[in-house]
Amino acid sequence: MILGLLGVGALGYAVIRVAFGYPESRYQSLTRADAALVASAAEAMYPAGGAIPSSGTDADLPAYLDRFLVASVARIRILVHLLLFLVEHATLFFPAPGWNGRSRFSALSADQRVAVLDGWSESSLFVRRLVFTTLRALLTLGYFAHPPVLRALKLAPFAIDSPVVEADLLYPRIGEHPDSIRLTRADLTPPGEVTPLRLDGPIRADFSGSNE
Amino acid sequence: MSEAPTETSSAAGGSVSVFAQYDRDIDEEVDVVVVGSGPAGAVVSKELAELGKSVLLIEEGPPFVPEEFEIDGGLSMARTMREGGLRATSGTTMPTMQAIALGGGSLVNSAICNRTPDFVLERWCADYELSRTTLPDLEPHYDAVGKFLGISPTPENVQGARNLLFRDGCEALGYTSEPISRNVRGCRGSGECFTGCRTRAKQSMDISYVPAAIRAGARVLTSVRIEEIVADRRRVSAVVGRVVAPFTGKPSYQVRIRAKIVVLAAGCMATPVLLQKSGNLANRSGQVGENLQFHPGVAIMGIFPDPVNPQFGATQGYQSRQFLEDGFKLETLWAPPAITAVRLPGSGQALKDRLADIPYSAIWDAIASCNRSLGRVKAKRGTLNPTLSWHLHPKDIPILSQSLWVLAEIFFAAGARTIIPGIHGVPPEMHTLGEAEVLRTRSLKATDFVLGGNHAFCTTRMHGDPRRGVVNEMGRCHDLENLFIADTGIFPQCPSVNPMWTAMALAHREAHHIAEHL
Repeated sequence: MILGLLGVGALGYAVIRVAFGYPESRYQSLTRADAALVASAAEAMYPAGGAIPSSGTDADLPAYLDRFLVASVARIRILVHLLLFLVEHATLFFPAPGWNGRSRFSALSADQRVAVLDGWSESSLFVRRLVFTTLRALLTLGYFAHPPVLRALKLAPFAIDSPVVEADLLYPRIGEHPDSIRLTRADLTPPGEVTPLRLDGPIRADFSGSNE
Repeated sequence: MSEAPTETSSAAGGSVSVFAQYDRDIDEEVDVVVVGSGPAGAVVSKELAELGKSVLLIEEGPPFVPEEFEIDGGLSMARTMREGGLRATSGTTMPTMQAIALGGGSLVNSAICNRTPDFVLERWCADYELSRTTLPDLEPHYDAVGKFLGISPTPENVQGARNLLFRDGCEALGYTSEPISRNVRGCRGSGECFTGCRTRAKQSMDISYVPAAIRAGARVLTSVRIEEIVADRRRVSAVVGRVVAPFTGKPSYQVRIRAKIVVLAAGCMATPVLLQKSGNLANRSGQVGENLQFHPGVAIMGIFPDPVNPQFGATQGYQSRQFLEDGFKLETLWAPPAITAVRLPGSGQALKDRLADIPYSAIWDAIASCNRSLGRVKAKRGTLNPTLSWHLHPKDIPILSQSLWVLAEIFFAAGARTIIPGIHGVPPEMHTLGEAEVLRTRSLKATDFVLGGNHAFCTTRMHGDPRRGVVNEMGRCHDLENLFIADTGIFPQCPSVNPMWTAMALAHREAHHIAEHL
């Protein structure tokens, strides 16, 4: 009887913990819980201020990860969802400091989240370090996809006018029919002197702009 | 399938077909069907087409044009790599990648071209009962590929500081170093090799060998996945598969290609799966999928007092082969900034502070010859993606530790103020060579390293003895007289250097051997 009650209680807690209290999701692939975890981890991993003004929140990492998952195959989507679920709820087993340290990751304070992430990154368990490395890799890819970050580091990609080569007469853009190729032999870029790019040269249009 | 006469066709009858063109099942007969358009498959196709054979080159991925290249490292991997670039080995966990695109890995590699050293080829011949795979045997084939692709040392004006600092560090220590030879014409130093060369300087297969094959009359089917090889006793008769949509892999029309000769060049991780899924074909030796080797890589980031501006310069412009016989090769490296940042330790403001050091940084890496560290490729149900297992042998760990120590030496000799080795169990940052001593003195475990699974070999290895290898040294399967393999799976051991040029030289030789016997 007591065991049964405990079981029902545990099940109820699990359902509430996993399913309730998340805001609506506006994403194609990320669930409400995924989005909350990514947003809270992004804020902890990349806080505002310092040499790079943009924060993980500014970089809208849930939107990036959603695009990444939409572009990925099903198996990767499943693995990433599992990873996010694991980090969100592993505080049950690896709690954050403080009285509420076993709360969901996304419900912790910023300081608690940083402490949890540091715990994962410095763990003596290889699997925990691996989970952290994977999560950080996903967040970092998204953070650097935010143009102001690369501009702040002066690492924005160069503006490059790709020359027209023979292959450009053969291949259409992905998904398009070869009839869409408008280039002809007359458009081929003639051989000529090639000059190295310049560090002070123009950057790609979609990365230009101010960091304000 | 529609075959409208567009500029995708050549005067010799060559053509390329893309996903949007397919509107029915495909059933054809040719002299030679080549599965996989990476460096080896592209060479075989071009050579055989130029020798007058009817050639069909099949590639599962689509062709990419510059407008399709994603600068963003994550999206680039999701689009150009199998399993979104997140493939990893079990056993010793190590990420490893395989491209899915016309041109295969050449589209997204850094174009490094090295001839396999004499001492390695001599060992191959001695240990694997080979008689015609010495360096003099392969020189004409290296030369032919090198001439066609314009393989040449990276010029100084596109080296950039991060490559030249490596040279300076080596010189200060008396270590040999040299500009890396690459299949590149007219490099501008964009450092974008890994996401697709927007300057079109890299002579990846899709803009070099494949167009040449088409000019010579080869036909190319992209977005076609071969799923089975049909065999009868000692001969293969056809390959069958499906048209698949780019990126999603959703299958549609059926494909059946009958051929006198089938050449598998699907890569070291896909070719054995294809054989296993075809009724464990060509496997009387039991070696299909076995002996998997990599060049496991480790890297160190160094921070210099002055700006390095690492975004400019050849992606990998300098190397040192001084330590090849000790088991490792050293080279410079640049990747999209996001990939570079992934290796920095910590989180929160401390991590952001470290990111701010990237403009002052250089990354140099070592690829190791770990011949004792073996793995296996196994087919799994419902997919052509493999299960990979691999174990870093404890006796190979000192090779990695030693390579990290030498990299640390070179960094400090070049003037670095800090190095970040990215190893668990040692300080995250080191500021003097004395602090770096732990890299060679501390006993490290396989899981302490952040390894990268560079290159892959040996899963259909060549061996003079049919009981111990899958193919002979001309790439022909011992068990099937008209089935050839032409990717790095046929290497009997890792080559100690970047394998592309050797794979192409072997493929060049194989193509001419096939032509003689067809």
